Amino acid sequence: MAEKIVVDPIPRIEGHLRIEAQLGANNVIEDAFSSGTMWRGIEIILKGRDPRDAWAFAERICGVCTTVHALASVRCVEDALGIEIPKNARIIRNLMNATQQTQDHLVHFYHLHALDWVDVVSALKADPKEASRIAQSISPWPKSSPGYFKDLQQKLVGFVESGQLGIFSNGYWGHPAYKLPPEVNLIAVAHYLEALDFQKEIVKIHTVFGGKNPHPNYLVGGMACAIDPNRNTAINIETLSMVKKIIEETKTFIEQVYVPDLIAIAGFYKDWLYGGGLGNYLCYGDFPEKSVDDAASLLWPRGAILNKDLSTIYDVDPRDLGQVTEEVSHSWYTYSNGDDRGLHPWEGETRPEYTGPKPPFDYLDTDKKYSWLKAPRWKNSSMEVGPLARVLLAYAKGDAMITETVNMVLGKLEVGAEALFSTLGRTAARGVECLQTAGFMMRYYDQLVDNIKSGDLRTANTELWEPSRWPKEAKGFGYTEAPRGALGHWIHIKDGKIEDCQIVVPSTWNASPRDANGAVGAYESALRGTPMADPEQPLEILRTVHSFDPCLACASHVFDMNGNEITKVTIV
Amino acid sequence: MKKINVIGLGNILFGDEGFGVEAVRRLEKECPDLSDTVQFIDGGTQGIYLLDYIESADAVLVYDAIIPPDFDRRIYVYADGELPAFIHRKMSSHQMGLSELFFVANLHGKVPEKVVLIGVPPRELELGSGISQAVEELLADAVEEGKRIINSFISD
Repeated sequence: MAEKIVVDPIPRIEGHLRIEAQLGANNVIEDAFSSGTMWRGIEIILKGRDPRDAWAFAERICGVCTTVHALASVRCVEDALGIEIPKNARIIRNLMNATQQTQDHLVHFYHLHALDWVDVVSALKADPKEASRIAQSISPWPKSSPGYFKDLQQKLVGFVESGQLGIFSNGYWGHPAYKLPPEVNLIAVAHYLEALDFQKEIVKIHTVFGGKNPHPNYLVGGMACAIDPNRNTAINIETLSMVKKIIEETKTFIEQVYVPDLIAIAGFYKDWLYGGGLGNYLCYGDFPEKSVDDAASLLWPRGAILNKDLSTIYDVDPRDLGQVTEEVSHSWYTYSNGDDRGLHPWEGETRPEYTGPKPPFDYLDTDKKYSWLKAPRWKNSSMEVGPLARVLLAYAKGDAMITETVNMVLGKLEVGAEALFSTLGRTAARGVECLQTAGFMMRYYDQLVDNIKSGDLRTANTELWEPSRWPKEAKGFGYTEAPRGALGHWIHIKDGKIEDCQIVVPSTWNASPRDANGAVGAYESALRGTPMADPEQPLEILRTVHSFDPCLACASHVFDMNGNEITKVTIV
Repeated sequence: MKKINVIGLGNILFGDEGFGVEAVRRLEKECPDLSDTVQFIDGGTQGIYLLDYIESADAVLVYDAIIPPDFDRRIYVYADGELPAFIHRKMSSHQMGLSELFFVANLHGKVPEKVVLIGVPPRELELGSGISQAVEELLADAVEEGKRIINSFISD
C-alpha cells in the first residue's frame, strides 16, 4: 500500500487545517486532500444583528485579518443601502488597506514562510565577513557590517547553547531540501529579526486612522476619525507627518531588505518549481480611485484567468447568480435542494452537519465529506486567489509597475515567465506586490493631504444612518482583496436587521475540498507531483501550503502550559 | 513613569475563548483611575502583531484562556520565568501564541521587567455562546488578582 502522510496542526484544543497526502513511487505526492477541521460559523453569529454593527463581529472572524473583514463588511452594507462614502473616507480606507497588505506580506515572508527555505541552524556555521560581503553586494541596507552579523551569530549560539531554541526548536534543520549557503541563512535570520521589529511601526498608521489598534474602528458611511489640521485630538499636521515618515521607512525596508532577500533566496531554489497547481486565478480587485462600484477605477483589476492562459482575461461579476457559487458535496453541511448544486452566496445556506469520523482518528474518509470548508467555484471552476492571481492578472493586462517589477525579478533570476506558475512564483508575487502596496501607501497619503488642503474635511456620510430611512429589504455585495486573496461578503438586510450574510474568504477558495465533479481545490492541486526528500519531515508540503498564506488557524487562541506539538506527522 | 500594559487575549466569538478580552474590559471599567498609568489592550487573537505591546512595556499583565497541567476550576497565575517560551512549526502565521511573542521579544532583548499571566481553563468553546457560568464565576477573582498585580507593578 502506498504511504499516506498526514500533516495536522493541532493548535491546542481545535485543529484548523489538515493535509492528507498520498505518496506514489519515489516519494512523489500522487494526490492530496485539504481539510478545514474547524467550523467558523460567522454567518450564524451575524444573523439578526444590526447591519451597522456587523463589521465589529466580522473583524473577529479571523485572528489577524481584522481590517479586511471590517472593510468588506461596511462595503456590503453600504452597497445594500446605496450609501456613497465621502472622498476622504475612500482615501483613508485605501491607505489602511495598503498598510495592512504591506505589513501582512512582510510578516508572512519572514515569520511564516522564510523558515521553509532558510535553515537557521546552518547560520551558526556562517562566516560573518562573507555574509557581510554578500549582503552589501545585493543591497545598500546599512545594517550589513561583519560585526553586525558576528554579534547576531554569537547571540544565536548563546540561545542554542542555553537550550532556548524557542522559535527554532521545531524546524526540520539539516533537511536535504534546504539549499542556501550558511552566509545567506545568516543574512535571512538577521532580517527575520529586523522585520519583526520593523512591522510594529507600519501598523501605527491603523491607530491614527482607526482610532485604536488592534481592531481599528470602521463605520458604515465612512470612517470614524475626525480631520482637523488645527486640533490636537483630530488627525492633524503632526499625525500626518508621522504617517509620512512611517510610509517612507516602510518603502525603504521593502526595497532594501525584503525584495533583495527574496531574489537572493529564490536564486538557490530555481530548480524547485513545484506547486503551480490549478492555473486558474480569480480577483475581485481593489483600491478604487472612484466609487467602489466602478470596477474600471480599481488599481488592482477584477477578472479571471483560466488554464494559465494570460492572453484571455474573463470578466467577473460577483453579483451574477451563475458565477460565484459554493457547493457542499464534500463538506460537512447540507443544502435543502441537494449538496451537489452550487448556490450563489445570496441564496446560500449554512447548515452544518458533521459526518466525519469521531476523533481521534487516523484519516478522513475523503471519498465522502471531509472538510468544514465549502467548495467555492467560479463558473464551475476551482480557482486560486491571492498575490499570484493578482500579479498575473495585472501582468496579463500590462500594468506598467507590475510588468516592470516582474520582469526585473525574472531577469535577475534568469528564468522565464512560466516560472511564475509555482510555489516560488507565488512567493515572489507576494514580494512584488508588497513593493507596489508600499507605493500605494504614499499615493493615498498624498491624495489625502491634497484633499484636506482643498478644504474637504468630511469623513462620513450619515444621511442614511437611521434604519427608518432604509428600504424594507435590500441585498448588497462587499468585497476586498485581502492579503491572501479575494474576499466577499454578501448581505441580505430585512426590516433593519441582517437576514443573512454569507462570507466567502480567500482560504476557502485556496483550501477548498473537491466538488461533486471530483475537481480538486488549489492546495490539493498544487501538492500533486511534488517529490518529498523525507516523508517524515514534510517540509515540501509546508512550503507549498505556506506559499498561499493560509488563514485557517484563525480565531482560536488557547495558551498551552504543557507545550504540546502542533503539527502532527504520521506515516501510515 | 513605568509603562504598564494589560492585554486580554482570545476570541470573543467562541465562548470561554473570550475570557482574556472580557477580563480586561471589566478591569478597565472597574478602575477608571488607572487609565493614566495603565494601557488596557483588547488583543484578540492578533499574535505577532501584539509584539509592540509586549516590547514597549516595563511591566505586562496578560489575561488568556489556558490549558493548565491539572485543569482545576480556579484562576492560574504565572509570573516571569514560569512562562514557557516555546514555539512550534505552524501552518499559518495566525497560529501564534503568547509564548512565541515572548521568545521573539527575548531575541530582540526587549522582554519587560515584569510579566504576569492570569489564566483560566475554558469550559465551553461553543460558537457565539459567550462566557460560560463556570468561567463567569472566576472572572471576579481574575479581576481582583489583576488589581493586586497592577498595584505591585506600580509600587515596585
